[in-house]
Amino acid sequence: MIQVRNLTKRFGAKTAVNNLSFDVQPGLVTGFLGPNGAGKTTTLRAIVGLVRPDAGAVTVNGTNYHDILAPTHEVGALLEAKAYHPGRRARDHLVALAQASRIPNRRVDEVLGLVGLADAGKRKAGTFSLGMAQRLGIAAALLGDPPVLLLDEPVNGLDPEGIVWVRTLMQALAAEGRTVLVSSHLMSEMALTATHVVVIGRGKLIADSSIEELVRASSGSRVRLRTPLAGALVPHLLAAGGTVQPGDDGALMVSGLEPDAVGDIAFKAQAPVHELARLEASLEEAFMELTQEDSEFRAQGVTGAPAARQGWGAAARGGADGAGAPAGTGTGGQAGAWPGAPAGDGAPAGTSAPPAQGWPAARQGWSGPA
Amino acid sequence: MSAPTRVLGTEVRAAPRPTGEVPTLADTLRSEWTKMRTLRSTKVTLGVTALIVIGLSALITWASVASPHHGTQAFTNPLGVIQAGWGLGWLAFEVLGALVVTNEYSSGMIAATFLATPRRVRVLAAKGAVLSVVVGLLSLVMTFVNFYVGHAVLSAYPAFPEPALGDNNVLRAVLGMALTSTLMALIGFALGAVLRHTAGAITASVAVLFVLPLILQALPTSWRNPVEEYWPTQAGSQLEQVTRQAHALTAWWGTGDLALFVALLLVVAGVLLVRRDA
Repeated sequence: MIQVRNLTKRFGAKTAVNNLSFDVQPGLVTGFLGPNGAGKTTTLRAIVGLVRPDAGAVTVNGTNYHDILAPTHEVGALLEAKAYHPGRRARDHLVALAQASRIPNRRVDEVLGLVGLADAGKRKAGTFSLGMAQRLGIAAALLGDPPVLLLDEPVNGLDPEGIVWVRTLMQALAAEGRTVLVSSHLMSEMALTATHVVVIGRGKLIADSSIEELVRASSGSRVRLRTPLAGALVPHLLAAGGTVQPGDDGALMVSGLEPDAVGDIAFKAQAPVHELARLEASLEEAFMELTQEDSEFRAQGVTGAPAARQGWGAAARGGADGAGAPAGTGTGGQAGAWPGAPAGDGAPAGTSAPPAQGWPAARQGWSGPA
Repeated sequence: MSAPTRVLGTEVRAAPRPTGEVPTLADTLRSEWTKMRTLRSTKVTLGVTALIVIGLSALITWASVASPHHGTQAFTNPLGVIQAGWGLGWLAFEVLGALVVTNEYSSGMIAATFLATPRRVRVLAAKGAVLSVVVGLLSLVMTFVNFYVGHAVLSAYPAFPEPALGDNNVLRAVLGMALTSTLMALIGFALGAVLRHTAGAITASVAVLFVLPLILQALPTSWRNPVEEYWPTQAGSQLEQVTRQAHALTAWWGTGDLALFVALLLVVAGVLLVRRDA
């Protein structure tokens, strides 16, 4: 179990991590998501003591990393793919790390086999492809057979077979009761790998929930309705609190209402229903919605929102472009708009946060123009 | 904790207990020795350094006795002539010392090192110790080979005196070369740990060893002499002087001066290592 409590880290004037608190539970693969520059890597490095927090604390199974007596046996981490000297043979690299942790060479050959590098151990690590470098990094992380694993972008540079291998490995490690925290910016990959996600943006917690909850809470989940009386039905849907957009082929895309409510409204309005379906948002859409205010690097005039959102996006984009605001102070009004973010210490960043009403800012922003 | 528990709705087994033994300084030393041993570039650097120091010294010795214009040095300070190539050797050891640390920063290896050994001062101590032993032993062999090669060159020219190990302070100067070389390597090492960049550390090493002493030459004598006397690399090189020089510390005070400088640099490196982010 990893506990991050009120972690704050500044680099000069830039606040990389801002009062961040969350727990990572054992037995699950927890995805650690956020746009580039959100503070994921800084947080991971703080967990293993490479970065000194300016405030707050991080503990692994209750202990600060510096105070763990045999750290390699407690936490394994893949932080940078190429954290090795290119002139050293892969096996020698692992032997040096194993010796530092009093691990026998037998284990080095074991992990080399485990990651599929048994035949490449004699090769200089500098000749490795990015995929092999990732495997070597994972081998190093597994040396001490640790109950806690941190992996920063482990599937970067892997071929499809390698991606499946990493996914299977992480799930197997979690199934053994280990704590597995995996950062990624590939939502599709996280949707397949992780059970739980922690989402941060600009160093602050945005969401800490199961993937299911996250997707369900997303305003991207909507109802597709096809009826010949679309024009007559729209006012009723709006009156009931829904937001309506024209879909392709003349269907109505309704958000803010459940399918049964939409069906009932259509029935009352005597509009024949030809098609009625719930469209789940993808994790990717949910993520985009959560983080679009918090992306640090964004091309001017192009939001990360998927194309399907065109009808909604205008107001949100125009109203809340926080890109120019200093990262340290954050976008003040916006910070309060996320009740899901823990306000102070003590309150565990629980499993239920954020609840469905945790996204009012996003919803209001998008329903306006409709 | 053997029964499965439920976390966030998922059934999980109890996390495995860590079973590892607690590593000690000896383990860190073993690891650092492996790192040193398994880099071909280190071995090549050391070998080339030995060849250049011995070869260059022999060449300078030969040149100073073979040419009648340059013979005076070989009369007044024959050992100084025999050891003339070591300035370059000291620089090479400084560079090697710097690389031992900066290599890890430039490759990203430092993260893996500190993950395995979060006690950073222990890493610094182990690295410094392995470097000292390697440079110390190699330069010990080098200095005797260098002495006998130079001796052989001199003995081909009977007009010149041949220093013997039994002569006053000669053995001290020959053995001292190993000590001074080790301290030079540690200067580069500490500068590498402070600056964390190869180019910066090498530049600083060159400055300490060659450039600043050169700049001192431009100062008026009344300023120059006291600074030169205590400038660590100048002071440290008095150990290799058979007779005491003017405006210079004695051999052992000079070595103490250099050692103190190295110690201060290492303390700065240790403090920064602990305080800074890796």
